[in-house]
Amino acid sequence: MVNITIDGKPIEAREGSTILEAALENGIDIPHLCYHKGLSRAGACRLCGVKVRIGERWLNKEGHAPHSMHITACTTEVGEGMEIVAHDAELKKARQLIIEFLLAANKHDCMVCESNGVCELQRYAYELGVDQKNLRFPSPEYTEPVDDSSEAITRDLNNCILCARCVRACQETTVQRIWHFYGRGGIDDTLPKMKLIAGFDQPLAETECVSCGNCIQVCPTGALTEKLAHFKGRPWEFKKVRTICPYCGVGCQIELWVKDNKIVRVYGCEDAPDNKGALCVKGRFGLDFVSHPDRLTKPLIKRNGKFEEASWDGALDLIADRFKDLKDKYGGDALSGLSSAKCTNEENYLFQKFIRTCFGTNSVDHCARL
Amino acid sequence: MTFEELQERAREKWKDTEESSTPIVRVGAATCGLAAAAGEVIEAIEDEVKQLNLEVKLVSVGCIGCCYAEPLIDIKKPGKPRIVYSFITPDKAREIIKDYIVDDNPRPDLAMGTIGEGEVEDIPRFFELAYYKPQVRLITENCGTIDPRDIHQYIANGGFGGLKRALSMSPDDVVEEVKKSGLRGRGGAGFPTGLKWSLCREAKGSPKYLICNADEGDPGAFMDRSVLEGDPYRVLEGMLIGAYAIDASEGYIYCRAEYPLAVELISNAINQMERDGLVGDDIMGSGFSFRFHLFLGAGAFVCGEETSLMASIMGRPGRPRPRPPFPAQSGLFGKPTNINNVETWGNIPWILRHGADAFASYGTERSKGTKTLSLTGKVQRTGLIEVPMGITIDEIVYEIGGGMKDNATFKAVQTGGPSGGSIPHYLGDTPVDYETLTALGTIMGSGGLVTMDDRTCMVDVARYFLGFTRCESCGQCTPCREGTKQMYRILDSINKGEGKPEDIPLLKEISEIVIDSSLCGLGQTLGKTVLTTLTYFPEEYEEHINRKYCRSRVCKRLSPAPCQAACPVGIDVPTYNALIAWGRFDDALEVIREDNPFPAVSGWMCPHPCEKDCTRLETDKAISIRALKRFVAEHEIKAGRRKKVVHPSPITREEKTAIIGAGLTGLSAAHDLRREGYPVTVFESKPFAGGMLRIAVPDYRIPPHIVDYEVEIIEKNVGVEIKTNVAIGKDLTVEDLKKQDYKAVLIAIGAHKPVDLRLSGSEGEDYIHAIEFLKRVKAGNREKPGDVVAVIGCDHAAIDAARTAARLGSRVTIIYPRSRDQLPVGEDILKEVEDEHIKFQHLAVPTEIVRRRDGSIKAVKCMQTELHEPCLDDAGRHRALPIEGSELFVPATTVMVSIGMESDLSSLSYKLATNELGSIIIDPETLETSEKGVFAAGDAVTGPATIIEAIAAGQKAAASIKCYLNGVEFKEPYKLVRPRMRIEPVEVEEELETFRRPDELVRPSEERLFDFEEVRLGLTEKLAVYEAKRCLRCDYEEEEELK
Repeated sequence: MVNITIDGKPIEAREGSTILEAALENGIDIPHLCYHKGLSRAGACRLCGVKVRIGERWLNKEGHAPHSMHITACTTEVGEGMEIVAHDAELKKARQLIIEFLLAANKHDCMVCESNGVCELQRYAYELGVDQKNLRFPSPEYTEPVDDSSEAITRDLNNCILCARCVRACQETTVQRIWHFYGRGGIDDTLPKMKLIAGFDQPLAETECVSCGNCIQVCPTGALTEKLAHFKGRPWEFKKVRTICPYCGVGCQIELWVKDNKIVRVYGCEDAPDNKGALCVKGRFGLDFVSHPDRLTKPLIKRNGKFEEASWDGALDLIADRFKDLKDKYGGDALSGLSSAKCTNEENYLFQKFIRTCFGTNSVDHCARL
Repeated sequence: MTFEELQERAREKWKDTEESSTPIVRVGAATCGLAAAAGEVIEAIEDEVKQLNLEVKLVSVGCIGCCYAEPLIDIKKPGKPRIVYSFITPDKAREIIKDYIVDDNPRPDLAMGTIGEGEVEDIPRFFELAYYKPQVRLITENCGTIDPRDIHQYIANGGFGGLKRALSMSPDDVVEEVKKSGLRGRGGAGFPTGLKWSLCREAKGSPKYLICNADEGDPGAFMDRSVLEGDPYRVLEGMLIGAYAIDASEGYIYCRAEYPLAVELISNAINQMERDGLVGDDIMGSGFSFRFHLFLGAGAFVCGEETSLMASIMGRPGRPRPRPPFPAQSGLFGKPTNINNVETWGNIPWILRHGADAFASYGTERSKGTKTLSLTGKVQRTGLIEVPMGITIDEIVYEIGGGMKDNATFKAVQTGGPSGGSIPHYLGDTPVDYETLTALGTIMGSGGLVTMDDRTCMVDVARYFLGFTRCESCGQCTPCREGTKQMYRILDSINKGEGKPEDIPLLKEISEIVIDSSLCGLGQTLGKTVLTTLTYFPEEYEEHINRKYCRSRVCKRLSPAPCQAACPVGIDVPTYNALIAWGRFDDALEVIREDNPFPAVSGWMCPHPCEKDCTRLETDKAISIRALKRFVAEHEIKAGRRKKVVHPSPITREEKTAIIGAGLTGLSAAHDLRREGYPVTVFESKPFAGGMLRIAVPDYRIPPHIVDYEVEIIEKNVGVEIKTNVAIGKDLTVEDLKKQDYKAVLIAIGAHKPVDLRLSGSEGEDYIHAIEFLKRVKAGNREKPGDVVAVIGCDHAAIDAARTAARLGSRVTIIYPRSRDQLPVGEDILKEVEDEHIKFQHLAVPTEIVRRRDGSIKAVKCMQTELHEPCLDDAGRHRALPIEGSELFVPATTVMVSIGMESDLSSLSYKLATNELGSIIIDPETLETSEKGVFAAGDAVTGPATIIEAIAAGQKAAASIKCYLNGVEFKEPYKLVRPRMRIEPVEVEEELETFRRPDELVRPSEERLFDFEEVRLGLTEKLAVYEAKRCLRCDYEEEEELK
């Protein structure tokens, strides 16, 4: 452990953690937008600038007198004896300006934004008191067209703050490398303005995107959102249900956002040890079957060539009777069991136990082995 | 071959060429030379040599430094020093080859200097020239001397001696040697090189890499290019030494692709070194191995930053990453990497060869050695210079650079390119070293030094550099990406005159925060340009924002077009022209009236200095600005529109002003004061206002009703009280005026007293002053002055008198001491005069009026003159000096004379301090006389001037009186001359593109010689619109859209 102080508060920080991580783990928030747990350190938004001193020596380089250059908390690892100033008037002024820049860079509109309420830009704008009405810079007059070519992901560059979280998530977590930055900072006839592109600046649907949606999960604003969740509820209206993804045996932990007893959004739980927030396309976008009208909610029994609704007991009795008949007639080895990867380990255990003891056969297998 | 053998061979080869009987011709063929057409010079020399059948060794060398004098050739003949010739054209090159090589005439007229042992008569020593004297050439010692394509020449001049010495030392000792030399990174940040090396040496990991940063992207910087093009081996030797010290095995040279010659020379050098075993395995038998890779940068400025440069080599987008880890720990491909700039590497061989102490003997306490700088901008001599650290800006600008071009004033110097800042002229004694420059808010940078003169607008400089960094910002970090965008937008709006006072603190805040919080060196420095210009030139920002004025005339929307600038009262000519082109004649007239209360008078009479500066003159003829003014004024007079509107401006002030004299000066002053709400009374001794125009200038030049029209507007529409027939000094005194509570008095009585020539024979009624004659005729007495009239002098009064006499039936000759092209009247008037059969006796100066016995005049006796070069106090005209003994008679019965007029102060009966010539002494700034509150302006002070100067004098007097009445200090410029509004250009029809300047309609001479009707009839509406469309609209700037 490393002993540091942040704004005078003594903290024992993990060795190798950054100042920002140490602060967050100890309940101190340093404003940050490009940092995301589990992604590489970018140091791009420059919001988490702090001042660091060890003993009498300031680590900050000399800036424009009397200021000093800020050290980004998200890229600097803690060191023994660091005294960190994370909040003061000068830092606040810089952070306010950065937020002001970001708000002025695009046509942000919180009114119908899907991220309203969970947006990190909105949060810091509020906390730092940057009022969108009173920006000192004019907002652009143009609106970026929204890319909703993909079945799952909507890209609205009007909300994009170029934090590169999605770029890193796609590169480092999914390893699909769909998102890139194109262009530079410039605005010029010859140089395009920097923007987030998919593939070779294509509509998302035309790229190799696997629609895992991990970019949506890390997006701090409403730039990348679940297309199917649009206008289906504001973040604070949802009941959040933590559960395990039903699709496979990895057991990704998920959080269902449920409204009116319908699953609207799915998030990976970032504190889960197995998936650390990541999900695949099925886990994130494949749970809408739950409330699908075609879904069977009662067992059906075919009689005279027609399915007829039955009770669970009736249906199970019928199945048990038929298995029993077969076993009596041909012996247990005439039967076998194939279990699903959607089942939990516990269920699979029970399943093979059941096959062996009740069917009396060792012919039992699992779909994941095929 | 061992290195010793190689050295031996190289020295022999060098000796053979240098001491051979074949002359050597070196041509500076670096990029700077080639851009100045050195290629053609080389062709010409080859051709000439072939034609003359000479034996000459022609060598293309790098730049010797004085890029301003390119192309340069340098000829070495056996037993003679090298002679450098500058500003060579192919023709000059041929001449020199013939004269010097064949005829042994060294042509001192074309030579710049000599290099090497021996003297040549009349040619100075090259390195003793003012440009070179303060310089110390260490890294550039071989530039311009050795052939950059021949490794032997480098070796013969001591090349690879540093490597040899290094390899005989331990790597640690090499690092120590570099540390001891005090060398600091020349890329800009100034990190101690030895320390950087030792950090990389100690780092764990293998292999280790070296990088030479040759991505020189700053506008106005070319030091690295010059070194690479003049002496590429030096940089590679430096890298080899560094590699040995750090234990690196591979090196990258990251050179921008825009330097094709440098790239060619580097790869050639690497090949030769491979051939001679100076790179590869087991170099010089030491067991040390090293390989070079040449990597071409794709043109991103930010790739000069080390982490993005490495990303670029690794095939990633050139974007910086946060440090730590530093390249020494984890650099290229994750391995320990040492990266230095071209110039740093270039210094290493010299240090190893001459020792650290020799290097450290140059420079200052903390900045050792020399620095190459690219001196560019507005200095007379530009080029690559190498100076010891600690030299002052003034020494560089004035001694090396030779001061500013065109006698302009030195204003500022930008160091460090777009990442640096501007140092103002008053800090010229600043020494150039890392610490001092940083303390001033700028940086040393890689060595770009852009000098700026008073024609450079500092706001525009900041805008320019921000425009550059805005495009070059990599875009990943917020402050730099968005900050540059916003700073550029604000600066651009200030440039366009849309700046707001709150922009200044906002710019300061953004710059500071972008510096403090950006990720890499680009963002951390780009705000310095804005901050330094804000710190050192706040007045320019203030003028742009609050007064909408650009003193350097750079910002188009805030500075006048040439015509407007030339106008003494600053009429917005392009705007009124544009309005005429749109057919908005009344609006055009209002634009003129903003600056000039006499549009009609000026339209008829103005000598139009504006037309001399018209940009259209570069294509064909100037726009007929005066005639267009007359057209709009006449258009209104004919329509009678203005007269109907009578609503004088309200009087909002109490302080009364009295103006003596209702000429153009007095009326203009009255107009300006009254328009601002001050009560004004003009006293005029004559029965009508209008001054000379109304009492002397002939009707055929300007009809009286035109003058009356505009006087009436000033009286009725503006509300100036004019009291005619009141002679101050007779009916009222100045003291009376003061008693009547006039707080300020302006004396604008004009100059009505003719100066006499005092010739013998000048007594009698047939000898008259032209002005008296004109006044007499204007008053109605149209009596013929005599059969044969000689007019002495050639001012407007003389010309008018001659033309009037011609109309009254006299034969007229004008006697003028200079030639026709020196006449102080416009070509248009001159042509009219000549059409009216008026003769000129040029080059004659009268000495006597010869009279007959009966007392009547017989002739004017003159001396012939000859013209001499003009002297300064003669307004650029040639001096006419009489030829002794010459004699010439101009027959005449009547002589009129007009050689100047002066003011008749005595009529005022008011005691004022005067000078020995009897003119009122005034403060030239405020126009105030010796008496407090009494001002004097116009012809009364200056002597006869043009109508537009008279109006300007009145306006200045009004501005000064206003300041006096308000108790504030009067300061020039009293009026800001800048565009009044922004009018879109009208589309010009294709058939009008060949339309030429129309002549005004002029009545034929046979008709006009018999009456006093107007000579000129002005432009028709159609012609006026066509003519207005000829304006090239050099005031107009395309709107640059922010995307």
